[in-house]
Amino acid sequence: MRSQNTGQIRIIEAFLAVLIIFTSFTIASNLTVRPNIKKSEDLASIGFQALIKLDSDGTLGKLIDHKNWTAIRDAFDIVLPTGICFNLTVYDDEMHQINDSVISNGSFSSQEIAFVEYVCASQSTVFRCYIVCLQLAVAQ
Amino acid sequence: MCRRELRANNSGQLLIVGALAIAILISVTTVYVYELGNETNSVDVRSINNFILAIKQSTRNTMISSLANVSNGGERIVLTANLDKLSEIVRNLHQFGISQLNFGVLNDSVYDSGIWLSWNTNNLGVSSACANFTLKVYGIGVNVSLDYAFNITTSIVVNGYYIKLANEEKMVNLTCRVYNEGEYALVKEFNIFYEKFGEWKPVNSLNGLSIINYGNGTYTISFTADTPSEKVQVLVNTYDLRDIFVQANTTCSEV
Repeated sequence: MRSQNTGQIRIIEAFLAVLIIFTSFTIASNLTVRPNIKKSEDLASIGFQALIKLDSDGTLGKLIDHKNWTAIRDAFDIVLPTGICFNLTVYDDEMHQINDSVISNGSFSSQEIAFVEYVCASQSTVFRCYIVCLQLAVAQ
Repeated sequence: MCRRELRANNSGQLLIVGALAIAILISVTTVYVYELGNETNSVDVRSINNFILAIKQSTRNTMISSLANVSNGGERIVLTANLDKLSEIVRNLHQFGISQLNFGVLNDSVYDSGIWLSWNTNNLGVSSACANFTLKVYGIGVNVSLDYAFNITTSIVVNGYYIKLANEEKMVNLTCRVYNEGEYALVKEFNIFYEKFGEWKPVNSLNGLSIINYGNGTYTISFTADTPSEKVQVLVNTYDLRDIFVQANTTCSEV
């Protein structure tokens, strides 16, 4: 009778151990459902890098100065990795929108949208400052 | 009896080993979760780093724009005015909390209101702007303060000589080296003048002007000058690719 009990207790112990392990893994996996934030931050980082790259030699400011929205869209198409949708809005220093046409490469179907705010100072002799708002999403 | 005791002893040991194993598993899981949390935080830091990089980029562009303006005849105060405007715009950004950009333009023996224009020194011309900055970003989990400085400088070094041709004609050969922040740089255009009877005569195609660009910031310029003087005074002015104007003069002797 005693040895039978010991066997049952062992089984219960094993079950408990398995339960504890699974519970800990379940909690761990739930706690790490942060990739959403991570993804969005990655997108924001990609956006910042693209803006900095285009602005490093003053190209972005020059294109905005000349209101060349098509060239800006083409430039972002080249600089951003494939599979990323973007929508760009350019404001002047008083937050008036100045792009009169949409600067985008398609509609956003993803729920995951990153937002980047960038100050673009033009290198031209007449100083102009723009605020570029870039929205990014992974194309689905 | 002895067997039973041994069994009971073993059972206790097994329980301890089992408990230890479970404790280790829980600890490992906790460490794993903690590290994942840290990774997420490091991504945050990367975003702020990018934001700071972007502000630094805008600061640099503002300084280039201001120097281009001043070197083309604008007031020196333009640098301070433009940086003031940039600081105001940065204050209105709230993506990472509150951002604050403070600056101080350099004033010393050569810089006045952050600007240094030295165009009359023999062989060397300098157009430069210099300022110090402090960027502060405050927000939830963010408290960054960064000091940095920018020195935007376009300089030109001109050396030359001439070979006597028929009558008063002289073949002038110049070597120009252009620098942006001490690195070799290209230019948009050159305007060259030589002195004749106290007047600056422009050099153009009629003087057989030839400019060779070596692609590394070095240019050789040759032209004919019709002047009786033994020493030929030459003035070279140029705009770099950022529209910053700089000029230098040199005295050419016969070789």
